[in-house]
Amino acid sequence: MSADFDAIVVGSGPAGVSAAFPLVQAGLKILLVDGGREMQVKPPSKPYLVSRAEDENQWEWMVGRDYYSLRNINTVSPKLRVPTLSYVFEGFEAANRINAHDFIAIGSLARGGLSSAWGCGIARLSPEELNDFPFSPSEILTSYETVSRRIGLSGALKDDLSEYFGIDEWADPPIPIDDLRSRILHRYEKRKADVTPLGFKLGRSRIAVLSQDRAERKACDTSGNCMWGCHRRALYTAAEDLELLKKFSNFTYRSGFVVDELDCAGALRAVRGSDMSGNQTISASKIILAAGTLATTRLALQALNLNKPISMHACPIAAFMLWLPKALGSARPPAFGLGQLSFALKLEHGVAGFGSLFNTTGIPSAEFVRHMPLSKRYGIDFLKALLSSCVVGNLFLPGKLSTSMLSLRTDGSLHVEGGFRKEVPELMHLAEQRLRKVFWKLGAVLLPMSFTVGKPGGDIHYTCSLPMRARPDYGETDAFGELFGLDDIYVVDGASLSDHSEKSHTLTIMANADRIGRKISYDYKDAKCNIV
Amino acid sequence: MRLLVTGATGYIGERLVRHALSQGHEIIAASRRRPNEDIEWIPFDLSAASEIILPEGIDSVFHLAATTISHDIDPDIEMEAAKHLIKAAVQANAKIIFISSQTARKDAPTVYGRTKWQIEKLVLAAAGLVVRPGQVYGGPERALFGELLRSVRRLPVIPAFLPAPKVQPVHIDDLIVALLHCAESNSIPSSILHIGATQPVSFTKFLRTISIVRVRGYRPPIPLPIALVRFAGLISGKRLRITLGIDRLSSLSDLPTMQTDHDLQLLGVTLRPLSSGMTRSGNERRRILIREGQALLQYVLKVRPTPALIRRYVRSIELIRDGESLNLPEFLLVAPMAIALLDHTPAQSTSYEEEFTWRLNTAVVLAEASVQGAKRFLGIGEYNGFVICLGRMTRAVILELCWRILRLIACPFWGILFRNSRLSK
Ligand SMILES: Cc1cc2nc3c(=O)[nH]c(=O)nc-3n(C[C@H](O)[C@H](O)[C@H](O)COP(=O)(O)OP(=O)(O)OC[C@H]3O[C@@H](n4cnc5c(N)ncnc54)[C@H](O)[C@@H]3O)c2cc1C
Repeated sequence: MSADFDAIVVGSGPAGVSAAFPLVQAGLKILLVDGGREMQVKPPSKPYLVSRAEDENQWEWMVGRDYYSLRNINTVSPKLRVPTLSYVFEGFEAANRINAHDFIAIGSLARGGLSSAWGCGIARLSPEELNDFPFSPSEILTSYETVSRRIGLSGALKDDLSEYFGIDEWADPPIPIDDLRSRILHRYEKRKADVTPLGFKLGRSRIAVLSQDRAERKACDTSGNCMWGCHRRALYTAAEDLELLKKFSNFTYRSGFVVDELDCAGALRAVRGSDMSGNQTISASKIILAAGTLATTRLALQALNLNKPISMHACPIAAFMLWLPKALGSARPPAFGLGQLSFALKLEHGVAGFGSLFNTTGIPSAEFVRHMPLSKRYGIDFLKALLSSCVVGNLFLPGKLSTSMLSLRTDGSLHVEGGFRKEVPELMHLAEQRLRKVFWKLGAVLLPMSFTVGKPGGDIHYTCSLPMRARPDYGETDAFGELFGLDDIYVVDGASLSDHSEKSHTLTIMANADRIGRKISYDYKDAKCNIV
Repeated sequence: MRLLVTGATGYIGERLVRHALSQGHEIIAASRRRPNEDIEWIPFDLSAASEIILPEGIDSVFHLAATTISHDIDPDIEMEAAKHLIKAAVQANAKIIFISSQTARKDAPTVYGRTKWQIEKLVLAAAGLVVRPGQVYGGPERALFGELLRSVRRLPVIPAFLPAPKVQPVHIDDLIVALLHCAESNSIPSSILHIGATQPVSFTKFLRTISIVRVRGYRPPIPLPIALVRFAGLISGKRLRITLGIDRLSSLSDLPTMQTDHDLQLLGVTLRPLSSGMTRSGNERRRILIREGQALLQYVLKVRPTPALIRRYVRSIELIRDGESLNLPEFLLVAPMAIALLDHTPAQSTSYEEEFTWRLNTAVVLAEASVQGAKRFLGIGEYNGFVICLGRMTRAVILELCWRILRLIACPFWGILFRNSRLSK
């Protein structure tokens, strides 16, 4: 009995494509399957402010012909209300049988996964942050580099966060900064001595966005459509990598094949799933799970038939708004809509926070009006005058502060129970105070009542449910993400990270997937040599 | 059922055909022109009366064909055509349903009315049903309804006849429901059925409703004694009298009131109110929702929202919410600025207040996503400066405070202000 493929990769998100590259390059016969959802609503084709001023049909991408944004008016993030991104999130929970309680469970069935809507923030973990990982930091370095060079990063600059991000040698210079953020940065340069004692460091954001053209993808021109869809393809999404993979003849892509179960009974491994043409079982020597932490964990637990609850990391998150009084009345220039400035903030007991500052232009004002303590009519008046001098920011704390648990139910569904450790409110309060102080010194007011802590899961950074361990147990994976108790099943997405700091984790997921992909292809070559 | 309809391309006929088809009936059109729908068709011409043979298996025959223009009517030929039709129906064992007129009378002032009366007799003799509709309105702008609409649109005033003729309006769709019921039911005895509002309304009120609800503009009524009209008719001669519709007008003025409640009940139809039937969609709910949308959007935008924007609001409420209006009090619809009275977040909100907040947020989201909204929310192209912005913010806060004070003052009168809205329930 021979397998249909050498390996099947489940998921075309950042993890899936990153694992696929080394395998495909090594000549393995690879099948990649995913939920296959694609963009349905066209994003604006002109710069944001031009589209807003001229496009009579702007409601189609801002609200949606089916009133998508109104239907989802109560969801956690403005991104979850963007009609052009609806395909990214739709159908995930049902297809993957996820039930969540006190937890915002978000995942994707899209081609390219959640990276079709992500914020592009990236970072490399320092050797200390890799302490809990069962391999030496040098082992993943090449993978960090390979992935970084492939996807295209920007933001490299000698500043106070160069070391923190650790990717400058592989990145292009930053995208032009806008006026408000450059004021803050200037002020920081001048008053560094006042704020660094508060554990605060500021620098340009390192992001997976092009500041220089790369073949078909064009550099960011600050047209401000980041949230709605970049027609220049400056923002990295895993769908870009998928296009590159499709060029290999030993790579097969099957879009819209939703895996429901793994079949591990025989000598071979197989995925059972369905697409438009019905149910099907496809076999392979190895299966590589990259369906996103929640979906992957369910498939793994089901294959293991493991019913004990396992823990998962998710970052506590907060959002806030800053006001720069001196900038009141400044015009709204077109601007890059993702992180332009980032900060690292040391808190108590070795806990640190990480956050970024964003331009507000590309975000609908309705998002702010809704939370104003003024009536709508005057709230709009007020914000119209105020918003151009405002900056929004977010803050992530380490994932280990979460107490979220996952458990497989007898009906095959995955139950998520959300929660944070009890010190989180206190840490958040401390963070708010620190940030207020720091930004005051930098000429910005942290607006009262604007600092809001998100619900568990709202970060959409779920990790460490099947962590890599040197000596794994059931519900864990070995140093190469291979599921303990089931050979040839590999976990390459967030689920197998061993620890999750406050930093953006996706680059690490990708590097780790690349690392595991390399290892599998070495084994494969070895085996071939032995046969010969 | 297999139904044959004469006059299938007319004002009522066309609508009847469409509705009957949607109900799953089979239709054979008998008319001069081939109907737009792709249905069976036999030629039928009132003015060229000849023997007719009905197609197989017809259950009922609707006789709607009629010449409405007085000086074109040749009563004998029309009678002849009716006779042929009735004979064919009797032979085919089909029920005949004749659409007559409120003006049908032996001594009616118009030929039209007299001819109708005579045909009625034939139909009743053949055990058929006669339906006398009142003033039919609504739907496409055709027939008398279309004429009235066009006149109101054109004229700066509406005539208020003295003494005022009374009409008993019936919306075309309600009439059609009644007609189909006549065909479907076996328990309705051969008789004359009167379909129209139980309470007659003055013709002036009818015209005024057209102007306000349909044409959406106020037209002052100008008193016009009927006697004067008659006199004008007398001196203008027969031809001009017909052209100006003076005969028709006078036939209106001495209409006998129909007793309709019994027949309405028999046919199981409830007539919609005039103000709701007169809207373009024939539906008051929509009209009220449109006004609500217009008010909320105007409150948000500070300028009149475009019709497209209002449509979006209405659609969203129909698609996502219950599609019912909030029934905001009239003064808020007239002066949307005062919506600020309701626009605050109470510590504990009732389900009405939550719904109101939802809709206001909807108005904000929709308003913003438009060219109008981009101006209002982003101020693209406006000059901004520190002082201007500061001034605007201060003004917003002061106005907010004023409304809050007003809200406090208005508190004791809440019950009166919001008497009819869902808020008071
Ligand atoms: C709004 C937002 C902002 C973000 N910002 C950042 C950021 O700034 N920095 C950062 O590091 N991270 C960010 N993230 C998180 C980041 O997007 C994810 O960490 C990353 O996409 C995870 O990659 P993945 O490949 O593991 O899974 P996903 O991207 O979720 O991909 C899952 C893949 O699996 C497929 N799939 C799912 N279920 C099945 C199934 N049953 N059968 C077959 N295929 C299946 C899907 O089609 C998809 O291709 C953000 C996320 C969101 C939503």
